[in-house]
Amino acid sequence: MEKLKIGGLKQSLELCQFDLRGPDSSEEIASKVSKLLVSKKINMEFLTYYPNRNSYHQLTFCLNQDKFSTTSEILKKECSLPIGWKISSRGHVGIITIFPHQSAIKILGVIMVSWAAQSIPIYGIATSLSAISFVTDYHLIDKATEVIQDLFQLPEDHAPIKPEIRYYQSDIVKGD
Amino acid sequence: METIAVYWESRIKTYGFQRVTDLALFEFFCPPAEIKHLGEIISQGDIKIFRPKFIIAQESDHEISFIFCLPLKEGKDFHASLEKTPSLTNHRYIYPVSIIFFYGPHFGDRYGIANATFSTLSKADIKIIASGCSSASVFLVLAQDDIDKAEEVLAETFEVAK
Repeated sequence: MEKLKIGGLKQSLELCQFDLRGPDSSEEIASKVSKLLVSKKINMEFLTYYPNRNSYHQLTFCLNQDKFSTTSEILKKECSLPIGWKISSRGHVGIITIFPHQSAIKILGVIMVSWAAQSIPIYGIATSLSAISFVTDYHLIDKATEVIQDLFQLPEDHAPIKPEIRYYQSDIVKGD
Repeated sequence: METIAVYWESRIKTYGFQRVTDLALFEFFCPPAEIKHLGEIISQGDIKIFRPKFIIAQESDHEISFIFCLPLKEGKDFHASLEKTPSLTNHRYIYPVSIIFFYGPHFGDRYGIANATFSTLSKADIKIIASGCSSASVFLVLAQDDIDKAEEVLAETFEVAK
């Protein structure tokens, strides 16, 4: 059977994941947490937010693995989060991003089936205009990539799947 | 070898705001052990023909919640398909909702983008129904009535590149 075509595939560097859950609060949790992280110049590479059922909200985000301890400390500090909010985390996750040509929902379903068959978990999904990103265990990221490469046809001139450049944002601020 | 490139902006630049209006948001749940079955349903059944404008999934308390946003008309058919699928009975929908999304240079690689977005909306008292930030883009699902105001305040925070 002909493989479904996809436009591209890429892996992230090693990341960590935080899931924050709690009741509605006067201050939007996404605003509060992003403010805490920006004060330490920490980038969120992936984020999903949705007020879950039973009126509980959930904010999930991934950031570079070397920021795990700093972020844990910030979030666990007294008064960092509104009352009733709980934190859970994963120290070692990665993101696989796929660029589908078409039928994103079918590609999503095929990956869910194939990864489940190989015991590769999915901890989060988010789509953008041209991509679907999946969060999974970092130690399984190469296996997860192999499964996708077996399932889908990539362009012949595909760019490297593993990241070759790491970006650092400088602390230097240009004066007026 | 280290390469240093310098890029500076007084306001965070974006390539522009785009909207998708008249959408329905669907939420349904799946235990992690059932994810293979859910994948089969959405890749093989009636559901595979739908074209969601936005999808997120989050894991919590031994289940994964999925959020799909579809055009209203397509949403009615999607809802009917969910109704026919016994394993996906726990679903609800919200409508009408709209999406505003934007992306910009290296949005995925630098800090401050999420804070600029969420603090702007929070100050304007705009409630976010759902959000997903990945691949250098920011997607916000809002009540349809909030979309004009959201674009107005976001356009004050971000500079639209010309």
